[in-house]
Amino acid sequence: MSPFTALHLPARPDLTDEQVRAAWRAIAARTHPDRPDGGDPAAYAAAAAAYAQLRTPWGRSEALADLTATTDIPAPQPTAPAPARALWRAVAVLPARIRHGRPLRLAVRAVIAAAVAVTALTVIPGTASAPAIVAGSALWWLLTARGDLAPPPGR
Amino acid sequence: MSVWGLLRALAVLWLLRQALRLVRALVTAAALIAVWPVTTTAAIAAFAAWLRGWPAARLYRAAAWSTPMTGVYLLAVALHAHGWRAVALAPARDWRTASRLAEHGHILHAALLTAPVAVPAGLAVGALAWAGRINAVTAGVAGRSAYAPAAFDARQWRRQVRAARGALAAPGTVPLVTRAGTVPAGPVIRAVGRRWTPVLAIPAASFTRHMVIVGSSGSGKTNLMIRLWAGWYAAAAQATRRGKPRPLLAALDCKGGPDARAKASRTRRVLHGVGARRVGIWPDEATLSLWDIPARELAVLLHQMTEHGDGAAAYYADVSQAVLTMAVCAPGGPPRSAAEFLDRLDPGWLAGAYADARPAELTALRAAGPHLGDIQLRYATLLNRLGPALDGPGTITDADAWYFILEGTREPSVAETQAMAITELIAHAATSGNAEPRAMLLAADDYSAVSRRVPLSNLYERGRSLGLGVMVSAQSWQGLGSDDDERYRIAATADGGLWLMNTPYPEPLVQLAGTRRVLETAHKLIGATWGDEGTSRIQHAWTADPDLIRQLATGQACYIHRGTATYVQIARPRPSPLPLPAARTPARTVIIPPARTSASGNGHHGAPTVPLPPVGLDDVLGPGAAP
Repeated sequence: MSPFTALHLPARPDLTDEQVRAAWRAIAARTHPDRPDGGDPAAYAAAAAAYAQLRTPWGRSEALADLTATTDIPAPQPTAPAPARALWRAVAVLPARIRHGRPLRLAVRAVIAAAVAVTALTVIPGTASAPAIVAGSALWWLLTARGDLAPPPGR
Repeated sequence: MSVWGLLRALAVLWLLRQALRLVRALVTAAALIAVWPVTTTAAIAAFAAWLRGWPAARLYRAAAWSTPMTGVYLLAVALHAHGWRAVALAPARDWRTASRLAEHGHILHAALLTAPVAVPAGLAVGALAWAGRINAVTAGVAGRSAYAPAAFDARQWRRQVRAARGALAAPGTVPLVTRAGTVPAGPVIRAVGRRWTPVLAIPAASFTRHMVIVGSSGSGKTNLMIRLWAGWYAAAAQATRRGKPRPLLAALDCKGGPDARAKASRTRRVLHGVGARRVGIWPDEATLSLWDIPARELAVLLHQMTEHGDGAAAYYADVSQAVLTMAVCAPGGPPRSAAEFLDRLDPGWLAGAYADARPAELTALRAAGPHLGDIQLRYATLLNRLGPALDGPGTITDADAWYFILEGTREPSVAETQAMAITELIAHAATSGNAEPRAMLLAADDYSAVSRRVPLSNLYERGRSLGLGVMVSAQSWQGLGSDDDERYRIAATADGGLWLMNTPYPEPLVQLAGTRRVLETAHKLIGATWGDEGTSRIQHAWTADPDLIRQLATGQACYIHRGTATYVQIARPRPSPLPLPAARTPARTVIIPPARTSASGNGHHGAPTVPLPPVGLDDVLGPGAAP
């Protein structure tokens, strides 16, 4: 069990000393062996060990590092993901990138692009210009959407 | 010819010229009306560029990105029509249809019908027109007054800044690193002498060279530096996945103070976001061991760490160096701690260690004997002032990034010595053949605070010789070195680029960007108004305008590289809010113990005292909580 889990804290780099201490106090109050019901010595011990590790920024840095490590020390191994896996990973994080970006603007752009496309298909159906405008609207949306997405992890 | 005849000839010539002008204007107007879809798009594009301060290059890019729409249009025509002739004439046929529709008031219908060809063509024509307008006004051949070029430039600058700031609001515009491994700095405000791009991205290779950052206090230097550090780290980490060495960042904050702690904490947060696993903050949270340096280098470093005089003092300096060399390079191996080193500066210990030495060494030992007490006292004082953070354990390569806080403002002499030691440790890490090779970046913020004994040029050249990337910052031109020779040595060798932020004296630095040729036009005055005659000539103007640099607002920078200048709005460094992928294999634990609290007032903040976990419920919730 990670020390973050033991203290019911999210594994994030921006945790403060106060947050960690507050989490520890809450768990200690619930699980301390001196309580009338005997507490939960195992949970208390786990939380105490976790607090000892996470109470300083350096300790949190170490713990977080162990959670997010992708390569071992010392031998660096080429771990470039295969193209298919990279593509799948990019698609998998897309919802989170939208959520953490500017979803409203993205939606407004999508509505504008869709409106232009629908207008073209309605006003000039059967002409060569209609599919061209649909393609142009879609391209415009794709090119401008990137700015409204949050960067992928690690960037 | 009579006077009357001459006047008549002149009048005819004038009328002819005016007629030609009129004809030209009418033909142009007819052509513009004839291709009204293109004209309309071009006018809208040029107006938008004027309003937003866009360069013509932006319109050209938009035109290029619109051509797929034209491609789809032609493809659709080709699927229905037979023969290339029908495909080639399709735009003209649609234009004719659209013109008829427009005459009957069906504007939307007409615009949609012609858009696939009119949009790219209009954008390109608009870009041409806008580029022509910029050139004409800048050269002084357009505008209503002599002040027009200056007013135009000032207005466009304001609009360019506004557009660049607007681009910052988009979260995905300026990530810390791109997929290609370049490091974006921020949206481009203006590019001089180089191709315009929406965002200035620095190739990772530039970081393996040397960068100089000059900006006064409050100019946004910290943001820029943290962004560059994190971007470099992320780019190097990407390269690690392709088998390149792991990155190691060493940032020296040479001014120190409470701000340095906040900056260190922020740096760590950003570095965590790009995958740095262990970020050591020295001396508050992590220690290093000076005694890891090989014996010979350690003896030289220890000698250099103390101040020496000239004249008679040189003799004692030589004696001190000889003793240090004997103590550090003793047969049993180098000392492993400050206490062990000080123990060695004792006649008894040295006599024992060198019991089997050659007669010459024994003679030297006897000669140095009377001075040993003084030397020990001097080094005990020095090591005490340096504090426990250099007395280990811990090595540079244990971490992914280090943030060294040197109290250069409060305790300059201690900070200078610490800087010497840390630089030596970094050099050792870079050259050690036994350790894992690392891609290293050595960054020194406000190095002038500690540069009295180790000049910046020395650090710089050291980095070059070791193959490290070196990034240095100063608050002004004067802060780069003690004299102009040294300043020019540093600035002129910054082949990774020169960042200029708001600074009151940028002239020596803008010289490094050189000049560019511009057209300067002089008008003939007729009374108090301009005539239509004048002269133009090629003049040289600064590529990086010093007056513009003096007026840069907070967060704006001018990046000078290979004779070009790019003005950038620096984006605040924020890592992606998305969590990094979870580890598939746990990392090997490398422990850097926290620094011991200094009891001797060693010139820096001691490690924060952290209470041990409470053992009783009263300790958790206060007295009376336990039942």
